[in-house]
Amino acid sequence: MVRATANLRTSYLEANEILKRPYQRLLVASIFVCLVALPAASSGYFLHLINQCFLAGIGALGLSILTGYCGQISLGHAAFMAIGGFTAVILKAHLGLSFLVVLPASAIAGAFAGCIVGLPSLRFRGVYLAISTLAMHYSIIYLATAYQARFGSSASAGIPIDDPRIGPITLSGETSWYYFLLIFLSAVTFGCFNLVRTRAGRAWMAIRDRYVAAEALAINLTRYKLLAFMVSATLASVSGCLMAFNANVVTVEKYTLDLAIIYVAIIIVGGMGSILGTLMGAAFITLLPYAIDTLFDFLPRNWRFGSTLFGVQTGAVGLCIILFLLFEPKGLAELWRRIETYFARWPFRYRPLDAVRR
Amino acid sequence: MEFITTALILTCTYALLAAGIVILYKASRVVNFAHGEVAIVGGYVFYSSSTFAGAPSLWYGIAGALVFSIVMGAFIYLAIMRRVLGEPFYVPILITIGLAIVLKSAIIVIWHANQVAINVGVRPAVWLEGGATLSYMDLATVAVTAVFFLLLHLFLTHTRTGIQFRGTAENPLLASQRGVNVNFVLSLAWAIAAFAATLSGVLYGGRAFLSTESVTIGLAGLTAALVGGLDSLRGAVAGAFIVAISQYLTVRLIDPVLSQALPFLVLLLTLTLRPWGLFGTREELDRV
Repeated sequence: MVRATANLRTSYLEANEILKRPYQRLLVASIFVCLVALPAASSGYFLHLINQCFLAGIGALGLSILTGYCGQISLGHAAFMAIGGFTAVILKAHLGLSFLVVLPASAIAGAFAGCIVGLPSLRFRGVYLAISTLAMHYSIIYLATAYQARFGSSASAGIPIDDPRIGPITLSGETSWYYFLLIFLSAVTFGCFNLVRTRAGRAWMAIRDRYVAAEALAINLTRYKLLAFMVSATLASVSGCLMAFNANVVTVEKYTLDLAIIYVAIIIVGGMGSILGTLMGAAFITLLPYAIDTLFDFLPRNWRFGSTLFGVQTGAVGLCIILFLLFEPKGLAELWRRIETYFARWPFRYRPLDAVRR
Repeated sequence: MEFITTALILTCTYALLAAGIVILYKASRVVNFAHGEVAIVGGYVFYSSSTFAGAPSLWYGIAGALVFSIVMGAFIYLAIMRRVLGEPFYVPILITIGLAIVLKSAIIVIWHANQVAINVGVRPAVWLEGGATLSYMDLATVAVTAVFFLLLHLFLTHTRTGIQFRGTAENPLLASQRGVNVNFVLSLAWAIAAFAATLSGVLYGGRAFLSTESVTIGLAGLTAALVGGLDSLRGAVAGAFIVAISQYLTVRLIDPVLSQALPFLVLLLTLTLRPWGLFGTREELDRV
C-alpha cells in the first residue's frame, strides 16, 4: 500500500522532502487552490477576517522561530511590530517614499532592533530574559509615544497613512490585499520551513534543547541567538508595517503588552516548534473574538451587558493560554498529528511513537 | 516634606507587591506576572464587599478581601500551578501571564471596568510643616505595611509552619521527605502572596482610582523585587524604595510619560550591572 511506504526512505533526497506523504501534497495543493478561488465565493467581511489571519500569521512565524525553535522567551513582539509601523509612518507618510522601499526598510529596522533587544539574551536566560524583553518593550513604546506626540496630527488620533502602490497596482480593497498577503505569507511560510532545516535552524533547536550541549558542539551561541532575534524581529516588523498599511493608520495605542501576549498565545495554542501549528494558532486566536461575538448573538439580551463581550473576548485569550498549557502543551499541531497518525494506522490503534515526535 | 511622604507611601505599596513576588519566587521559583492583576482585583473585591451591606463598612471589606486572597491563592496553586511543577521554566511564567489576562477581563466583566475609589477615611489626620497632610489612609498604609512585614518575619522565623516554609523554599524534595506537606506550604505561599497583593491593591485604591489601567503597578512591583533581588525580602523593601523615588522624581522633574517606562529603565540598568539584585543571592541557574 502507498501509505506503508511513507516512513521508508530509500535515499537522502527523500529524507529532505517537506511533504513526505502523497496525501499531504494533495492536501496542500487543494488548500492552495481553495485559497486562490476564495475571494470569488466570499463576502468582503470574511476576506477582511482572513487578511487579519494572514497578517497575524506573518508576525507569529517570527515569534515561532524565536520561541518555538530557539527557546528564547520574548515579550517584546509588539515593540518590533511598532518599529515596523513607525518605520512605515516615517518613510511613507512623512518622507513620501515608495512602498517598495518602505517594506525592506522596515525589515532592516526590525533586524537592527532585534539585534539590540537580543543582546541581553547573551547574558540571561529564562525568566530574566523574558523580563528584559519586557523592559525593552516599554522603552521602545516610550520612544514611539514621544514620536507620535511630537509629529502626529494629534496625540491620540494616530498618524494616517496612504494605501501602498506596487507599480501600477494600488492595494486598497480587501481582494487585492488578500492576494498580496496570500503570496507574501506563502513565501514567508516556505522560507521558514526551509530556514529551520538549514544550519541555523538546527543550531537553534540545539540551543533550545540544551544550550550547554550546543556549545560543546561548537555552535556559536552569541551568533545564533542574535540571528534568531533578528529573524524574529524582521518578520514582526514587516508584519507591523503591512498592518499599518492595511489599517491606513498607525497609533501607538495598538502596540500594547496585550498584543505581545496575543502573539505568545498564538504560538502556545498552535504548538511550540511547529510552523504549521503557528499558522493554525494564528487563525484560531485571530478568529476567536469574532466567534465569541457570533456566539453572544444567541445569548439572552440581558446577558449582553455593555462591556461584557469585550471582557469575554480578551479573557478568552488568557484562558486559551492556561488551558492549552495544562491540557495540550504541544498545541493544535499535536492534535493534528494525532489525527494524522490515527488515519495513517487505521484500522489499528497502536500508541503513537513518542520517540520520533519532534 | 511632601516628597518624603509621597515617596514613603509609594514605597509601601510597591514593597507589599514585591514581597508577594519574592515569596512566590522563593517558594516555587515562579515569577508571578499576574501580581498587579491580583492586587487590583483584590481592591475591587474589597470595594464590593465593603459596600455589600449598603453603607461602606471597613470590616465587611476586610473580611471580603481576606476570603478572596485565601481562596484565590489556594485556587491558583491547587488548580493550576501544582500541575505544572517540574515543567520547563516558561510554562509557569506563561500561565501567570494568561492568568493576568483572565483577571483583567474579570474586572471588565464583573465590575464593567468602572473606575472605583475605596473610600474609608481620607480625611487629613496629621498636618505637617510645609502644607503637607497625611490622611488616615496614608497612615494606615505605612502601619499596615510595617505590621505585615513584622508578622511575616515572625511567621518565617518563629513558627513551625514558617520553618517548614523556609525548608520547602530551600529544597522541596528534601522537605517532603522529612514529612513537610509541600502542597500545603505552597498553597500557603500563594495565599500569603495574594493577601499581600490585595493589601497593596486596597491601599492603592484608597488614594487613587482603581481601574483596568492600574494593573501596571504589578510591573512596578516586579521591578522592585528584581532590583532588590528576587529571593530577598529585605531587598523587596529596598527595591521598592528605589523604584518609588526614581518614579516620583521623573514625574516631578522630567516627564510624566517617561514614568511609565522608567521602572523598566531601572530594571535594565540593574539587569546589566547586577542581575542578582541588591540583596539577592548570586546563583548560576538562570543567568549565565
